Amino acid sequence: MAFAAISTAFIALFLFGLALLIAREINLVVDTVTGNVQVAIYLSDPVRPETVTRIEGELQKLSAVSSVTYEDKAQACARARAIFAGNQAIIENVGCDVWPASLRVNLSDPSRYPEITAALGCEPNGTEEVTCTEPGVRTVRDYRQLLDRLSAITGVVRNGVLFIAAIMLASATVLVANTLRMGMFARRKEIGIMRLVGATNWRIRVPFLIEGLVEALIGAGLAIVTLFLILVFVVDQLRGRVPWLVLVRNVDVLAIVPWILFAAGGVAVVAGTLGIRRFLDV
Amino acid sequence: MISLQNVTKTYKNGVTALEDVSIEIEKGEFVFIVGPSGSGKSTTLRLLLREEEPSRGEVYVAGKNVVRLSALGGIPKLRRNIGCVFQDFKLLQDKTVFENVSFALEVIGKPKHVIDGRVPEILDYVGLGEKLNNYPDELSGGEQQRVSIARACVNRPLVLLADEPTGNLDPNTSVDIMRLLDKVNKIGTTVVMATHDQAIVDAMRKRVIELDKGKLVRDQSRGVYS
Repeated sequence: MAFAAISTAFIALFLFGLALLIAREINLVVDTVTGNVQVAIYLSDPVRPETVTRIEGELQKLSAVSSVTYEDKAQACARARAIFAGNQAIIENVGCDVWPASLRVNLSDPSRYPEITAALGCEPNGTEEVTCTEPGVRTVRDYRQLLDRLSAITGVVRNGVLFIAAIMLASATVLVANTLRMGMFARRKEIGIMRLVGATNWRIRVPFLIEGLVEALIGAGLAIVTLFLILVFVVDQLRGRVPWLVLVRNVDVLAIVPWILFAAGGVAVVAGTLGIRRFLDV
Repeated sequence: MISLQNVTKTYKNGVTALEDVSIEIEKGEFVFIVGPSGSGKSTTLRLLLREEEPSRGEVYVAGKNVVRLSALGGIPKLRRNIGCVFQDFKLLQDKTVFENVSFALEVIGKPKHVIDGRVPEILDYVGLGEKLNNYPDELSGGEQQRVSIARACVNRPLVLLADEPTGNLDPNTSVDIMRLLDKVNKIGTTVVMATHDQAIVDAMRKRVIELDKGKLVRDQSRGVYS
């Protein structure tokens, strides 16, 4: 019975950790691919510093803009190489020159995107990339839809995994509670005597609460080990095989360890409360 | 020491186990509670232990109104002052004689040196000084009841409650157990014993409280069974 409780706790906490890890992976991909900006203003070559300062100043005057950062050609190239890391053909054959410098803009309110294009004198053409009359600006690229779509997909995936994890955590809680209850039932004679000679309720319950906590924590330990094994034997094997795909690393697994332990503690506390409730009456 | 004042106990299923019963028991008394099965003997003991609450009336043990005691501290403290002995001994089969008695002190947090001092002392007192390391199934019924009396007395309770302590024992062994309970009573412990063992009650000539269908029908000092 303890084995059933531990293995369910393990599976539940593993799925819970996996859900968190998938969420981190998705954020990582979105971050790398889009730089997490909503609008990119690509500048035409050659880029003159005064042009950058002028356009940056104009953008910052707009209340719709929450932040503007300048990415020069070297940075753009470095980011492109990161995205295409592992794809030697692109890295060798495409010169650093082709990657345009850009001003990367985040909006205070995404629906006010037209204010940017208006300020730069762009022709709306129904696509996500427009050309503009503002000197020095090559094109303006609207990443809002891409970000929206990405976060819609990622949201569904993340919520799905979290939903399964929640169900598993609930069943782990019930199983741990049941183990505690069976343990108390097996020792009901001992408990009866303890009560009769005046042992306090806490003195009677604490051993069972500790048992529940130990079961949950063993499950958590197994889940953490399994996540690391998956990192080593699955994720690390994939690393570099798929161009543009950045993958989670050890630090990402380490970052979710506290959450797994926290969930294990929650399972133990709730299971303890449920499992010993019938024995609460003196 | 013990006071029941106009106590009525009606269980949830509608059975009235006690009806308007008043009993006063002084410190150091030895009292038999007699009556047929279902007369309310066990309910009376359960009320004193605060395993049940009275439906009406008041129950005082050692100056405390047991209804007002809290489950967190008050009730355990009450029970530390009450020893209990039962017909079926309630010994733990996987513990030795010594461990069965020391268990009662361990779970109320007594330190080891107190346990190591008191347990052999009380087992000697009940006549089991040689059988500390035996298991209950290696003992006779009378010896097992002695272990359970030792367990009930090891924390030096003010009151000893005995519910049919001789119910599983032959007449000769029963007499030995009664001598032991009398000895415990002589050192100042108030003893309340529920029984329907007529021979024993008649032989002891102690105070007898008779219950019938939940009502107190007789309270007689130096009485006999009926």
